[in-house]
Amino acid sequence: MHPLTKVASATAFALALGLGSAQAATEIEMFFPVPVEGKLAKEMQSLMERFNAAHPDIKAKAVYTGSYDETNLKTHAAIKAGRPPAAVIMSANFVLEYQIADEIQPLDPLIAADGKTSDAFMDQFWPALHGNARFAGKVWGVPFHNSTPLLYFNTDHFKEVGLDPKNPPKTWAEWSDAAKKLTKREGDKTTRWGLMLPSNYDYLGWVMTALDMSNGGQYYNSEYGGEVYYDQPSMRGALTFVDNLIHRDKVMPEGETDGKAVSTAFFAGQTSMVVLSTGSLSFIRENMKSGYGVAFVPSNIRNAVAIGGASLIMPKGLSDEQRKASWELIKWLTSPAVSGGWSRFTGYFAPNKAAYDLPEMKEFLAKNPDAQVAVDQLAYARSWFATYSTVAVRKALEDEVQAVLSGKKKPLEALKAAQAKAEEIMAPYVAATAMNLPK
Amino acid sequence: MAIATASDDVFVEEERPTARVLGRRHDRLALALIAPSLLFLVVFTYWPIAQVVLQALTIETFGSKTVEHGFGNFARLFADASFGRAVTNNLIYAAGTIVPSIGLALALAVGLRESTRFNALLRTVVFFPVLLPLVAAASLFLFVFLPGIGLLDHHLGRLGFHQTNWLGDPDVALWSLIGLTVWKNAAYYMLFFIAGLQAIPDDLYEAARLEGASATQRFARVTLPLLGPTLAFVLVVALVNVVTQVDHVVVLTKGGPSDSTNLVLYYIYQQAHENYDTGKAAAATVASLTALVALSVLSLRTLERAVHYEA
Repeated sequence: MHPLTKVASATAFALALGLGSAQAATEIEMFFPVPVEGKLAKEMQSLMERFNAAHPDIKAKAVYTGSYDETNLKTHAAIKAGRPPAAVIMSANFVLEYQIADEIQPLDPLIAADGKTSDAFMDQFWPALHGNARFAGKVWGVPFHNSTPLLYFNTDHFKEVGLDPKNPPKTWAEWSDAAKKLTKREGDKTTRWGLMLPSNYDYLGWVMTALDMSNGGQYYNSEYGGEVYYDQPSMRGALTFVDNLIHRDKVMPEGETDGKAVSTAFFAGQTSMVVLSTGSLSFIRENMKSGYGVAFVPSNIRNAVAIGGASLIMPKGLSDEQRKASWELIKWLTSPAVSGGWSRFTGYFAPNKAAYDLPEMKEFLAKNPDAQVAVDQLAYARSWFATYSTVAVRKALEDEVQAVLSGKKKPLEALKAAQAKAEEIMAPYVAATAMNLPK
Repeated sequence: MAIATASDDVFVEEERPTARVLGRRHDRLALALIAPSLLFLVVFTYWPIAQVVLQALTIETFGSKTVEHGFGNFARLFADASFGRAVTNNLIYAAGTIVPSIGLALALAVGLRESTRFNALLRTVVFFPVLLPLVAAASLFLFVFLPGIGLLDHHLGRLGFHQTNWLGDPDVALWSLIGLTVWKNAAYYMLFFIAGLQAIPDDLYEAARLEGASATQRFARVTLPLLGPTLAFVLVVALVNVVTQVDHVVVLTKGGPSDSTNLVLYYIYQQAHENYDTGKAAAATVASLTALVALSVLSLRTLERAVHYEA
């Protein structure tokens, strides 16, 4: 035998052995990201051990795949390479793109096989989460952990300037008044800012969504991935509000501010109010030295914010056994007890409503009333921005908003440019869908 | 080589066939010896290069299964304002990092030239940033650059300066990254210059001193010309670094605010992984690498022509 042939046959033999041994228990892999600070990766491994102990016929392995964006990248790569993971914890606003690219499977057949209707299945989860999980007539994702933006404020600073920490600002008018009172200056130097908003890519889009929705806006067409409403009055009002806080009232620093810089400044007492994710709740609870409180994001027209967080999805191209095993894992991870435990550990809220009926959750909320605010705000939450090419379309807005934050552009011209750029990016999708007309 | 010498030699005409066979056998042996590395080179270098070029010429449209070939990706690339911005940024970044870091490296090398114990200590201190991976350095600088509370603003504030948003001001952000890069790379280039300086014989300096040359004259007339080959090498290394290292962009700014720190490599990443536009990403890769190769060849040629190799 030629040496190369020998090697090849040996490899084939080894591969056959490897595949053979997989027959015993169905082996599945799940990709998972760690989006926030903390020991989440370790906690996920212990969840997997519990799942495998309870399901001897399945051997599930959690593969840590970095941030949300990296997980998205690795999932696409794995699917392209023909070795899709059995399940992925995917940023909820990327699910639409997988559906558009026809890379994930609808979950309705699996739900039906359990003898449930899709309506009954989705009814387990908070209504605000439905939009990013069930669209185009089918269920594509199962909410795993979710968040909303929250207003965090320093109660010591509030007392110092005569504001009532029990009664945080509810409207934009009260909000900007509070920010003016809280800002401290020495000569022309600002030593304490009234308010800080995270404005790095990704976070900025989410914050602008919250402000736009609080101003009555829709931000995007939640029914069709080829439309955004960047140059509308609701968005113009929201961006002008921010522009005024920076350049007219000087209660917010100029330029872009990273989310990490925002939380650091909040801990250091350099800013009195910040808007950050509910996912940062545990992090702030552990690191904040002075007193703090949380509240809804203030409103101008109505209370409204967009959700964030992640859903479990199932790629196409799995065997029947893998699909069944993956479905077991997905159901287990989103069950009330597991969902509630993960929520208490991370600070995200539990998507499964029943999690909040469990005694350990009631006890936890009684001890941590700030977590209750996050849950209460859910009644006003809406779907997260998702379109064709979500990241690029979001960046189209973010680049222009950053120009306003730096004083390079005025809101109106910035938003017109953002809208034009977004439409240019979505043009191929629009041409193949809404503008694909009978010839 | 073996064949050439054998055929040149008229006196061993009868031996030519044997020499040829020998040569052929040599060739085969040589080929067999380099085969393993050649295989890896083909599989991991040349094949991917061919694929990138092919990808750059492949045009896919959303919603249609048919694929066309042509220069459409390049046309879209050059029409993209963000690409223009990335190229401009990269040019500013190149000029802003290469000139100061090479100047600084040269100054440090000349200053720390003598191998005294004190200099060895200083060299280690200066060399320290090189030991840090760029990702780690960038993560550290996140806190150095924090407005108001960061190390930089804290000390500048004591001197009475205003708060600066080092990474969040589109006019400043690129210069912050340039500062970080110079801090990180200067000592690395210094190492090459120190090695180059050791190769310059002392008697040249002695002669220059006898002729009454001042320190500046000795530097300009002896040190600099003889460092030519080192300088040419360092310049190419620096040029490659400018294009291939974007870890700090990923960690600190993601190209923002408003694309003001976007460099070509990060732009390629965005096109490929954020916009799923592999055609444009491949076109940008081909365009930037062509420019890089051309620049490297040009700088090596011009510098080597002006270089004195012999002392």
